[in-house]
Amino acid sequence: MSQTTPTPAATGDATARSGPSRAGGFGEAKRSVGDWLLGVLCRSSAGVMIAMLVSLLGVLTWSAWPAISAYGLGFLVGTEWRVNELQRPVRDDAGKIIFRDGEMVTETVPQMFGALPVMYGTAMSSLLALMIAVPLSFGAALFLVRVAPKLRIAGPVSFLVEFLAAIPSLAYGLWGLFVLAPFLQEYVGPTAERWLGGVPWLRWMFYEQVIVAGRLIERPIAMTGRDLLCGSLILAIMVLPIITSVSRDVLKGVPRSQIEGTLALGATWWQSCLGMLRYGRSGLFGAVMLGLARAAGETMAVAMVIGNNNQISASPFAPAATMASLLANEFQDPGEGLHRPSLLYVALVLLVMSLLFNVVARWFVVGKGGGVSAAH
Amino acid sequence: MMTRWIRCASLAASMLLAAVAVASSKDVRLSGAGATFPAPLYTLWVSEFQKLHPTIKIDYRSIGSGGGVKAITDRTVAFGASDAPLNAREIEALGGPDAIVHIPTVAGGVVPAYNLPGVTAELKFTGEIIADIYLGKISSWDDPRLREINPGVTLPRLAITPVFRTDGSGTTFVFTSYLATQSPIFAGEIGAGKQVNWPLGQGGKGNEGVAAAIQQTRGALGYVEQNYAAANKIAYGAVRNSKGNFIRATPATMSAAGEGHSDALKGTVFQANIWNAAGPDAYPISAFTYLIFFRNLDNLVDAADAEAFVKFVRWAVSDGQKFAADLEYAPLSPEVRAQVESVLDRVTHKGQPLSTAK
Repeated sequence: MSQTTPTPAATGDATARSGPSRAGGFGEAKRSVGDWLLGVLCRSSAGVMIAMLVSLLGVLTWSAWPAISAYGLGFLVGTEWRVNELQRPVRDDAGKIIFRDGEMVTETVPQMFGALPVMYGTAMSSLLALMIAVPLSFGAALFLVRVAPKLRIAGPVSFLVEFLAAIPSLAYGLWGLFVLAPFLQEYVGPTAERWLGGVPWLRWMFYEQVIVAGRLIERPIAMTGRDLLCGSLILAIMVLPIITSVSRDVLKGVPRSQIEGTLALGATWWQSCLGMLRYGRSGLFGAVMLGLARAAGETMAVAMVIGNNNQISASPFAPAATMASLLANEFQDPGEGLHRPSLLYVALVLLVMSLLFNVVARWFVVGKGGGVSAAH
Repeated sequence: MMTRWIRCASLAASMLLAAVAVASSKDVRLSGAGATFPAPLYTLWVSEFQKLHPTIKIDYRSIGSGGGVKAITDRTVAFGASDAPLNAREIEALGGPDAIVHIPTVAGGVVPAYNLPGVTAELKFTGEIIADIYLGKISSWDDPRLREINPGVTLPRLAITPVFRTDGSGTTFVFTSYLATQSPIFAGEIGAGKQVNWPLGQGGKGNEGVAAAIQQTRGALGYVEQNYAAANKIAYGAVRNSKGNFIRATPATMSAAGEGHSDALKGTVFQANIWNAAGPDAYPISAFTYLIFFRNLDNLVDAADAEAFVKFVRWAVSDGQKFAADLEYAPLSPEVRAQVESVLDRVTHKGQPLSTAK
């Protein structure tokens, strides 16, 4: 077995901030067949990854094309998602249905697809999930970095947090459907209604408006437990591990001198923790963005508990749908016309959105200078 | 060394070929795909038929009506199954009405299922009331219109949560098609189809998703297939039919909806919408479920396959019908059965009539 002397590039320079050093740094001095093979393998693996992403985008765009060309960007603001054609009675100016020779006069309304309700559902459920998960994750990360090592329990607690990430999403969904949703239906919803239902400016939370044949009907929202709130809670639990573990690594990277400096200046324990959070803010922001990307793309668990109604409702107690849950529900056996292309258009939007989240997250965690970066 | 390998390989290959040849001369393998609603019955039919004809192996995959239509259009199966009758566009894609056989196998019904703790009496509904519940016009169980047709039942003051199916399904097609005949506003706002845009309520995927939502929500009203509700002990109500009688869905009342229809057969395509049927005992939200295959069975390799397939279908719509009621499906009425059997006589393989024709 021949020992090759490690090149400077292979040892890795801890202080180097310029990323990977030279292009093709696979040992320039002695090129053995093994080195050459490894180089080819690595490059082609990386190439395959990029090719996969590009082909994914290409295939999605290609198969969604009928919907893209039919609706354009209006798809992103359309509020109606209707697979079937309607035979709508024609009404005169007074709103009366027109009859001709005893037969009702009807017009055919073609099928219509718009993604705004599911985009809204994705945004709202992800935001609510982050509002719940981010404080918990940062708290847990601070605990793991500052408290747990002294108590010698950092290892087991880290393991448990990361174990949460290994639970399949179907298990979360079943737990949400059979434990969380009934609990919300039985206790949380009614309690909120009893305490807040009488507050005039919180009426939007407990009433929904339905437009039937041009008439607006306001009716109380039935507390079912399978709603935006339940979906967000499940998402919060699912994004906890990733935000916690990334922000733990970020906080671990805060230089000791920084912490000791704040303490030396007379900062309390709380103030020094705040200092740590401020020092690692870009990395922490990246952790949140990674959580957001996971929340936006989560499918099965959300589809089981969110209520699956393509509507835009401000209330957390109203059923909603996300882009991913829509795909889970409808993609298996799509209907005629533009239904399938429209579902693929939704998938394309979701993919582009997740890509953007990840790019932003990467920019903050790794790319940008200053602050603390985490090996990820 | 090399020659020995080649000899071994060729020996193995010839044995494999022989095995295939033996298998193909003995067994006929047929596959079908489509609707989930009749799947339990089709599975039972296949196993019962196999007891009579051990050499005919049939495989049915319940992938949904849409998938079944796509599979037969792509000619990847011997037959497709669909709960909704094919529309003109779909028939055109298969080569036109003369190229296909489109026959009913059994009838079934869709029932309004509910979760009302404390109410043990069986509730009564009308199509119009169900439509108004889904439209949001009726929002509480103690609505005067519900009380009026349910005298003697103490209905609680409880919000109604409508539950619907999110995936495309024949169940939704039958249910919405019926409601569209009962309420012009329903027809104009929600409309009929395998998948529609519900303005409010909870969505569930498949019968099981809808059933779970109903069972977990006090005050829920949803729709599932009658045999699913019966098998899972979900409470469901009676619906008023076109003669004004409140009818509970049973194999007998759903069969009653499928009676008559002497004019439903056009060439080899039998299509009949039996919701809102005229009989005094007919359950109003009933429908046939259909088999679709090519009249000239060229997608099957040889005539023996085609004959075995027709034998199976003929058995299913005659002797097989006795298994239907056990699984809470409605058997075909004698006149519908006669029409279906007359169609089977016209099936050919590569243009030649089959020996199974009578």
